Amino acid sequence: MKKITTLALSLAAISSFGFAKEITIAAVMPVTGPVAAYGQTAYEGVTLANKMRPTLKNGDTIKVVLLDTRGEKVETSNATTRAISQNKAVGIIGELITANTMQVMAIADKSKIPVIAPAATSDKLLDNVKFGSRVCFMDSFQGKAAAEFTAKELGYKTAVIVVDQAQVYSLGLAKTFESEFVKNGGKVLSKLKISSGDKDFKAIVSQIKSKNPDFVYVPTYHPEASLLARQAKQINLNKPMVGSDGVANPTFIELGGDAVNGFIFSDSFDASNPPTELSKKFLDEYEKEKGTRDIAGFTALGADAYFVMVEAMDKCADPSDSVCINDQIHKTKEFSGVSGVISIDEKGNAIRSVVMKEIVGGKPTFKANVNP
Amino acid sequence: MDFSLFLQNMVNGFSLGSMYALIAIGYTMVYGVLRLINFAHGDIMMVGAYVCFFGMVSLNLPFIAAVVFAVTICAALGIITDTIAYKPLRKAPRISLLITAIGISFLLENLFNVIFGSEPKAFIVPEYLQKVLTFGDVTVAMSAVLVPIITLILLAITLFILYRTKYGMAIRALAFDIHTVNLMGIDANLIIAIVFALGSMLAAIGGVFWSLNYPSIEPMMGVLIGLKAFAAAVLGGIGSVGGAVLGGFIIGFTEVVVVSLSPEFSGFKDAFAFIFLILILIFKPTGILGYNFEKSRF
Repeated sequence: MKKITTLALSLAAISSFGFAKEITIAAVMPVTGPVAAYGQTAYEGVTLANKMRPTLKNGDTIKVVLLDTRGEKVETSNATTRAISQNKAVGIIGELITANTMQVMAIADKSKIPVIAPAATSDKLLDNVKFGSRVCFMDSFQGKAAAEFTAKELGYKTAVIVVDQAQVYSLGLAKTFESEFVKNGGKVLSKLKISSGDKDFKAIVSQIKSKNPDFVYVPTYHPEASLLARQAKQINLNKPMVGSDGVANPTFIELGGDAVNGFIFSDSFDASNPPTELSKKFLDEYEKEKGTRDIAGFTALGADAYFVMVEAMDKCADPSDSVCINDQIHKTKEFSGVSGVISIDEKGNAIRSVVMKEIVGGKPTFKANVNP
Repeated sequence: MDFSLFLQNMVNGFSLGSMYALIAIGYTMVYGVLRLINFAHGDIMMVGAYVCFFGMVSLNLPFIAAVVFAVTICAALGIITDTIAYKPLRKAPRISLLITAIGISFLLENLFNVIFGSEPKAFIVPEYLQKVLTFGDVTVAMSAVLVPIITLILLAITLFILYRTKYGMAIRALAFDIHTVNLMGIDANLIIAIVFALGSMLAAIGGVFWSLNYPSIEPMMGVLIGLKAFAAAVLGGIGSVGGAVLGGFIIGFTEVVVVSLSPEFSGFKDAFAFIFLILILIFKPTGILGYNFEKSRF
């Protein structure tokens, strides 16, 4: 009798195993390298989201595999190819920075694998790709939000822009910011260029000081922005600085120290007032795991990329049908995600709000909400 | 450009240039004795910065003690790299030495990547070095003032060692003709070890200064700085210590001047520094203070 039970049980186990498949989603992200902070915070969001919702409606489990890109273009394409050919991923979440995300999308498009970018904000990201989409806002909107906020809310008249000429992200943001700021009656006194990896900004900050603008717009990533802020303080350049979501992570504050107090930046999510039910749940889960409710914007976006992907998979008869998943992602309407309410249009762009924050006493604090 | 901006730029260029100079001295001395471009030199600078950081954070050393610790470790590292990587190749073609140097460079970069992670870390700058000094419209941080002063003192010490001591004479003799020196009863390997130790110590101090002024350290930081310091050594005349310092200042000033004269080209300041190098080399192939080594040897 005992034998028969065991047999029946193991048969049941085998058959259930046969029905519920394991489906792989790849997280192609920089968890080492100069922008590792982005990948690490976003991956945190993906894994927590996976923990909160590990199965599909039909019982299939979702496995998330992480592939490190080191923030480099060559490594990014290697990781993408591995995700598709070796891990057989049905969907990809990643990369974080715009230039690398373009790389991922170019490769995934050929294999018809949908990619959701958690944080790549460049306007040009989705040109020429069919299988790409994103859950973050676009630079044209982010730059516009920053320009309107500084010109209307803060009443600034003149600006100097510091742009990272090696990053599409930075160039795009600077361009929209400039035109929107001028439209709002502001004046751009000078546009100074730097390159990613630069350390010495003393000449740049001296130049800014001599122009004496109302504020400085710095749409760069955190390694450069933090050093710029520090060196500005060294020469007593006490002008307000405004940045973008490239600095929306704790590493920025760690690197910048006291010098980044007063730094204003645009972000996608504010943990102090969770916009949806899901954000509240996510915050609770996060607190249970890490003991804090301070969630970086990229963590929320990573989670949203996962949730949007899973939501789309649930709507497909065969959840591993990549083409169907992609169609469903592009039909996402008013999805209440962790970072806010997200709609994705035909092209794959997200329509969502921007949050303006200021660093006060080493902590990002909420300043304003800008809706599309 | 008004006068205060001009002065501010002079100060900036001076402090940036002296950091390149400190590192360039190491390049030039090693080249002088071994005819080897030690591409691992920039990474030794990075090691210096990390060891100082480690000393302050993990061993709780005061800043000065951490600097001494970093300098000692880097001197030892210089001697060790010479012993394991270059010494066995003394008689090999120079291209093999160059390849080994690149290998050591990658080894150090990746080793520190594994140990400390690749994320930039915030270097701890002591309070008294963070103080901002103001002279009229010119403001400058304490650390940026100290750099050129200490560089010039170190240059004086290096020149003293080279021209006023027995070992210095041996180093110069070695630079002139390594084969004859051996016949004269001088232990060439010992002298080379001293050169490596000296160069690496200066690189370590350069690394610490760099981190004081730009307090974010990462394992790849030595690559571009090393390349510019190498350019400085070539510009000044590789093999000449005074030339290395001069070259360092020229590169530092070029970078600063490009930004202030034409802000629209500020993103190309590195390119300008190298264009300047090419121009000088077209008109004076041995660099500003250099002399033709190969001619003097044969």
